[in-house]
Amino acid sequence: MSLSTSLSIAVQSLNAASGALQATNNNIANANTPGYTREVPILQEGAPTDLGNNVSVGDGVDLVRYQSVRDELLQTQIQQETQAQSGANAQLSSLQQIQPTFTTSTQDIGTEMSALFSSISTLSTNPSSSSSRQAVLVAGQNLATAFNTASNTLTSQQAGLNTQVTQDVSQINQLTKQIAALNPQIAAMQAAGQDGGTLKDQQDQLVLSLSKLTNVSVTQSNDGVTLSTGNGTALVVGSKSFALQTATDSSGMTTVIDPNGIDITKSISGGDLGGTIQTRDTTIPGLLTQLNSLANQFASAFNNVQTSGTDQNGAAGIDFFKASGTATTISAGNITMNMTDPTQIAASTDGTSGGSGNLVNFSNVQTIAPAGGQTPGNAYASLVYQVGSLTSNANAESTATTSSLNQLNDQLSSVSGVSIDEESANLITYQQAYEAAARVVSTIQELFTVTMSMGTAAAA
Amino acid sequence: MRVTNMLPDIQYQMQQSQQALASATQQVSTGLRVNQLSDDPAASANMVVSLASSANVDQYTSNVNSVLPRMQTADSAMSSIVTSLNSAVTLGTSGASSAILTANKQSISAEVQSVLASVISQANTSYNGVYVFGGSESTTPPFVAASTTYNSSQGSVATPLTTTTALTAGSLTTIGDATTGETMTFKAASGDTVATLQQAIASAVVAGTLSAGTSATINAQGQLSIGTNDASSGIVVTSNDIVLGTMAADPNTAVANAYAYVGNSSVNTVQVGDSLHVATNLPGSQLLTAGANVIGSLTSLINALQSGTDTQIGTATNAVSSALTYVGQQRVPLDSTISQLNSQDSYLSQEKITLTTQQDSLVGISLADAATNLSQAQLNNGAVLAAAAKVMPQTLLDYLK
Repeated sequence: MSLSTSLSIAVQSLNAASGALQATNNNIANANTPGYTREVPILQEGAPTDLGNNVSVGDGVDLVRYQSVRDELLQTQIQQETQAQSGANAQLSSLQQIQPTFTTSTQDIGTEMSALFSSISTLSTNPSSSSSRQAVLVAGQNLATAFNTASNTLTSQQAGLNTQVTQDVSQINQLTKQIAALNPQIAAMQAAGQDGGTLKDQQDQLVLSLSKLTNVSVTQSNDGVTLSTGNGTALVVGSKSFALQTATDSSGMTTVIDPNGIDITKSISGGDLGGTIQTRDTTIPGLLTQLNSLANQFASAFNNVQTSGTDQNGAAGIDFFKASGTATTISAGNITMNMTDPTQIAASTDGTSGGSGNLVNFSNVQTIAPAGGQTPGNAYASLVYQVGSLTSNANAESTATTSSLNQLNDQLSSVSGVSIDEESANLITYQQAYEAAARVVSTIQELFTVTMSMGTAAAA
Repeated sequence: MRVTNMLPDIQYQMQQSQQALASATQQVSTGLRVNQLSDDPAASANMVVSLASSANVDQYTSNVNSVLPRMQTADSAMSSIVTSLNSAVTLGTSGASSAILTANKQSISAEVQSVLASVISQANTSYNGVYVFGGSESTTPPFVAASTTYNSSQGSVATPLTTTTALTAGSLTTIGDATTGETMTFKAASGDTVATLQQAIASAVVAGTLSAGTSATINAQGQLSIGTNDASSGIVVTSNDIVLGTMAADPNTAVANAYAYVGNSSVNTVQVGDSLHVATNLPGSQLLTAGANVIGSLTSLINALQSGTDTQIGTATNAVSSALTYVGQQRVPLDSTISQLNSQDSYLSQEKITLTTQQDSLVGISLADAATNLSQAQLNNGAVLAAAAKVMPQTLLDYLK
């Protein structure tokens, strides 16, 4: 082997060590960059040189490429868990805002219901008292207001979530567009034998952001990632993205339409959009149905008692509650007082002056359940349990998915993350390799010098 | 396993321990284990039911406190009536003696008149504006001095009421009869006229509710005139019908020492327990005019002392004595109600404590438990922070210098 060959090997070593240092440098620089996947230099031993006489010698080292250390399975699991976490968080956020309305306070439905029954009981001690009669009217209006407030809270939440659907769809379309744009760039780099790690990292981060918004299926192909919705409709294929649309249904709710014009609202189950739709279309309507049923049954029971009695003027009782506006069916949102005159309270069963026989029937509304139903107090308690239970479940799911996501991130970080300690050690390793290669160059230089001065030196 | 960056885990653990610390602090500051529905949905739902029960107990207690003094006032009034009747029996017994001069009988009669006035005063006892012996009609004095004729304020010579004049549906016209001690109440139905009222009065006479001769006519002034032929007794008429207007006694027809009942016979009840209702008023007709007619017996004794024979005075005195026994009997259920209310008050106090204890166990937390939880949370938080402080600054670079 000639000195020139040795020098060439030493230069290759310098280049390899320098390249490895560059990878280490890049890893350290991106140690805290979200989504960064560490790169390792791929070094390859040079093909051996046959020196004859069955003697061969290694031909140095080549820096073949840089390679990102990825785990696609973990990445997919993180995307799925992110969808579940975002869905749970969306539900939890809404329910946490609904919850205080049903928490015991001075103005919740349960308290106002008790206050109404108490005012009626007080009236029974002196049915002719105008102040006690007025108190019944005030308590009735307070209960109606409590029903209105609870209903408004639920419908306001629903309206807010409806707006969120449009915003989420808009963000999804932006992300799919960006993801599709990266596909050909990554494919081109991979075709050229490059890793494309930086662009892949960007794309993974965009897919993760998309997973926070909705459930998507991710598959890899030669053209890059292919994304599709829960019902299998393509969102990204190669360099093309297919935008979702929104429309408004007959009830004023925003629906999600796929690129083929199909309403996919019901099939969206994960991510913020899935959680938002679940809360908007299932959770809140369920609570509203129960609330409306309670308000309607309570009002009907009170109206039945009121119209079966006789008021202070000797006239037949008129309805206690009514639906406001043009509505004909009483619900939590429209319930209001029908009576404005305290003398209209039908305390008597037969018109006897000062009679209170009908007040017992008002009080019985509290304890007698309608056919196939519950007493008003128990019905409200069921509603309270349901709100609490839904919130608690969403909270538990959010906590569980967060914990699971942390574990998955730890695992991914274990594979793809940058360890400063490890990189520091690598730094020393490659520094020493570089110094050693430099020493080889220096030694060969000395040998060259000795060789070039052969004869002259001896003469000296 | 490669461990690259512990910061996310440390941050998560710090958040968890700080949430636990905040929760423990809230428990200490509020004394509640359940501060929002999701903390314990089942306990929150049970709390709704328990609070409703609590509100009922509070209301029952309020009702007891409202009704009990009223009942005690009624009992006190009846006690005074018993005393007055004892006095009347004593006076009647002395007046029945042939040895008593007529002039002295007149004097005794005057004393019995005072007794009657006292009984009427007690019978018109009110508590906080509620007449306790008026039945459910508690806004006006139930016992009123009787007259033989009452005239409506509506109707005139120019525009007289007639038998075909329509009455206001739902209006009430009441006629108390001092002789029978009973009261007739007429509630006008839709389509009823003055003639309907006349027929009702006639039917009441036949039934014995009103004394013979009681009738309603249109007088020369075009007014409705309701009167009785019994000049020694009389009636009291009230009406809230705007067609008739106020029924006023003819001042020339007042009957001395005669009083009629214009309350009603209804008994209102009030709930003082989940399944316990007690009467809140007493019909004066039941106490003082029905059965042994207390007021009628005193009126008869006065009349007998003024112009009767010794035998008649004796008979009238015996009637007062019977009335005295009757009143004593009527006090029994009243005393029973008072006793029941006192017992219920004690029961409700205990029930309130039971419910409060139940609510504490549902959503509350003892100070000791809360303090222990807080201490534990502080310890955990401190440990997490200490561990973070130890781990975070450590890198290989520290040792390579």
